[in-house]
Amino acid sequence: MAAFADLDLRASSDLKALRGMVETAAHLGYSVVAINHVVDFKEKKQEIEKPVVVSELFTTLPIVQVACTHLDVDLVCVTVTEKLPFYFKRPPVNVAIDRGLGFELVYSPAIKDSTIRRYTISNALNLMQICKGKNIIISSAAERPLEIRGPYDVANLGLLFGLSESDAKAAVSINCRAALLHGETRRTAFGIISTVKKPRPSEGDDDSLPACKKAKCEG
Amino acid sequence: MVRFKHRYLLCELMSDDPRCRLTLDDRVLGNLVRDTIARVHGTFGAAACSIGFAVRYLNVYTGIVLLRCRKEFYQLVWSALPFITYLENKGHRYPCFFNTLHVGGTIRTCQKFLIQYNRRQLLILLQNCTDERQREAIQKSVTRSCLVEESSGEELSDGGEEAAETME
Repeated sequence: MAAFADLDLRASSDLKALRGMVETAAHLGYSVVAINHVVDFKEKKQEIEKPVVVSELFTTLPIVQVACTHLDVDLVCVTVTEKLPFYFKRPPVNVAIDRGLGFELVYSPAIKDSTIRRYTISNALNLMQICKGKNIIISSAAERPLEIRGPYDVANLGLLFGLSESDAKAAVSINCRAALLHGETRRTAFGIISTVKKPRPSEGDDDSLPACKKAKCEG
Repeated sequence: MVRFKHRYLLCELMSDDPRCRLTLDDRVLGNLVRDTIARVHGTFGAAACSIGFAVRYLNVYTGIVLLRCRKEFYQLVWSALPFITYLENKGHRYPCFFNTLHVGGTIRTCQKFLIQYNRRQLLILLQNCTDERQREAIQKSVTRSCLVEESSGEELSDGGEEAAETME
């Protein structure tokens, strides 16, 4: 029943490598995968199609506060490559959880380098103390298929980060689904109505028979 | 009842390079896991995990590994497995990683899981194979595994070797 999801595969320009990564993820047991385009803050002019899930990476405290309360995003990525220069404050984090934002932790730099591993674990523990393990997502920022890990292994990594067992499993399955749904509701009106472009049916044979006669033929 | 309780971790070694699985050796693997635990969990981890630790089953063709550890420390061992990034043997370094399939309290439960897993893998292989000869071989092993339900031990090795032959 649990559908595991990995919400962060770094997109390289090579389509074939990307396909290999997605195949590996499918083989390991992930049912949903999200491909990340990393857009630099400065180059705002870049046109990308409206993404479903938007996540932002933060390094300074004021941005975090603003993001949690006002910005139109779904996920807040916690930097793992260096020690966070600020402490998460409880009020903005609570507002973020109420709004349905998720906090994303990335584990593939931790697999590669040991100092980064230390920073990852300390940042993660810091976050856990403030938010008590709610709305956490763990994903890999994998650039190659060898950096992805299976869903049960990732749930176990969640234990290392200070989550409880049920929270860790939820971090890989339920919270990811919640983030995706949150992204969908941003596009719709209050999460209830959404418009879908239906392809126009071919004119001609459909219009010749009026509706009642068509029903009789099928019945 | 005084008995040491263990946990058996069933893992699959995945790698780009097909030669990586062939160089698997139980001693090499054991040392690799012990080193990784020492790197990740330090001295305490290395000492705690080494008392009941053993490599119980190793299938070179399919890359299936069964590790045993004490029940009190199995989470330490399990959490160190994602940090394995390469396998070094005879001077050659192969990038690879471990995917944990199942954690069981006895070898028998792991074996049951492995049989179901191999059956599913055979069906997936059947979908993906391109060669007619391979297709026949896989279909034969699929029917054989469905019919023979009693002798589970033989299926483990048979299914694995058939799959390995068809993959080569």
